[in-house]
Amino acid sequence: MSKLLKKTDGKLTRDQQARRYALVMLLPALIFLACLIAYPLGKVLHDAFSHVHLINKSMTGFAGLDNFKKVVSDEHFAQAIRNTIFWTVFSVAGEYIMGMLTAVLLNQKFKGRAIFRTLVFIPWLVPIIVAGMTWDWMLNPDFGIINYLLLKVGLISEKINFLGDSRYAMATVIFVNIWRSFPYYTISFLSAMQSIPADLNEAAAVDGAGMFTRFFKITLPQLKSVSLVIVFIHIIWTAINFDFIWVMTEGGPNYATETLPIMIYRYSMKTFDVGAASALSTMMFTAMFIMFLFYYRKRMKISDDLS
Amino acid sequence: MLNKKNQTIVKTVSYILLIIIAIYCVFPFIWMVISAFKPKDEIRTAIPSFVIHAPTLENFKKVLFQAGFINYIKNSFIVSVIACGLSMVIAVMAGYALSRYYKQKLVKVSNFAMMLSQMIPGVLLLVPLYMIMQKFHILETYLCLILAYTTFVIPLCTFMMSSFFDTVPMALEEAAEIDGCGKAQTIFKIILPLSVPSLISTGLYAFINAWNEFMFGYIFISTDKYRTLTPAIMLFKGANTIDWGGLMAGSVIAVIPVTIIFLFLQKYFLAGLMSGSVKG
Repeated sequence: MSKLLKKTDGKLTRDQQARRYALVMLLPALIFLACLIAYPLGKVLHDAFSHVHLINKSMTGFAGLDNFKKVVSDEHFAQAIRNTIFWTVFSVAGEYIMGMLTAVLLNQKFKGRAIFRTLVFIPWLVPIIVAGMTWDWMLNPDFGIINYLLLKVGLISEKINFLGDSRYAMATVIFVNIWRSFPYYTISFLSAMQSIPADLNEAAAVDGAGMFTRFFKITLPQLKSVSLVIVFIHIIWTAINFDFIWVMTEGGPNYATETLPIMIYRYSMKTFDVGAASALSTMMFTAMFIMFLFYYRKRMKISDDLS
Repeated sequence: MLNKKNQTIVKTVSYILLIIIAIYCVFPFIWMVISAFKPKDEIRTAIPSFVIHAPTLENFKKVLFQAGFINYIKNSFIVSVIACGLSMVIAVMAGYALSRYYKQKLVKVSNFAMMLSQMIPGVLLLVPLYMIMQKFHILETYLCLILAYTTFVIPLCTFMMSSFFDTVPMALEEAAEIDGCGKAQTIFKIILPLSVPSLISTGLYAFINAWNEFMFGYIFISTDKYRTLTPAIMLFKGANTIDWGGLMAGSVIAVIPVTIIFLFLQKYFLAGLMSGSVKG
């Protein structure tokens, strides 16, 4: 690399040189993104309008909107959309509240703060598969500790099959997802809170503002931009999450926890209908892209306001 | 100003809440470890207890030697370490460009592309990635996982590095340039030694991400020889009646490296992660 750069040193203006450096430095990243994100993405958009089958290679040709029609008329499609929205909204809301609460608590000065911070962060480090399995085990209707404790305390009168009963399955998976994801919010909010000038809070306290007033009038507004980033990223990450639901329920029981990513997986790896899977992916991607544009504009506005 | 009495109440309530939250966070791990050391008859009981009457290493032995987890651990390590190294090299280069040449059009476009890539999930690209790997005959190898893991951490790692480079004063580099250092020399001799904390946090993030990843490993690899740890746990569960003791032992094994690394390096890790995520 340095050889390439040195050779041109003499002849180029500083500007051209900078352009060359930038290109060389960005090249590896761009190659990866082009080959393993942009190209597959193009392929998905293309396959959505073609007949493609993973095993039966004789299925080819332009499909028009056939794949979309097939997917939309899938009897579980409407439910999958409802499930995806439900799963995303409640997960993110729960994570936000838990994250904010713990950040506020940890933002005070007290003994043992570092230990609590470490403990709170640990769930986030665990592989999703391990989180899923451990909760699955604890929630087990026959031998699980949670059913046992709830019964003993008297909160429930008979054992509940949390993951096997379609009435409880979604709520349970959301609960576990919140457990694993909220620490990221905590740490983000905490680092943002620590950059709020302390005298702002003190001045408000002198003026007689109570704890809650100060939180809503001073802390919360200061967390606006970090909240935007975190919430947006997590809406996407949650909506598209495959691992959690797959590991815990595989979309069941009776499709009660089937979200769009699970449906994509079912089409591609169970029935090998790549066209239909791509049509679903395209719809999901379109929805996300629209959200992204909205977010990007908002984001740019905030950075403009800050500078 | 809060008076003394109020302060005590706030403090007490805070402590109680924090203890509840800490239990909520940590209890599953405690239960996981307890279960991993329990013999079968203490696992399959309707009255679970916190005390292990006859602690045993049976579950660990079974998982490690009979179920072949030793091999899966080795595979996970190989894949994670290489993916981590590769991502770091790429992220340092791209992060430097993003930080120093942010005014250029190419850099702006790349920045946008990376933000967008961060929003594109693996599962949407699963099928085409599978087909690409199939075409190049690299399914069932370490390489397909390394490539996939590296790709999906590049955006965040790059943002983490670039937000650190933003804090390194330009004057340092200019001084080195005047002293006759070339660009590569400046980066290796001046910038990188300063970046050790960010390098650690970026590398950690890439490593943990690869170590924890499940979906690609589950779908790209179907032979025992190259299987990584996370899919192995899932498959271990699928085998007829669930062996919860073994499963928890496997989980303990999967969690240990990440937890140890985190406990020692958490200072770097959290700071780096935040700067990257807030930027990206």
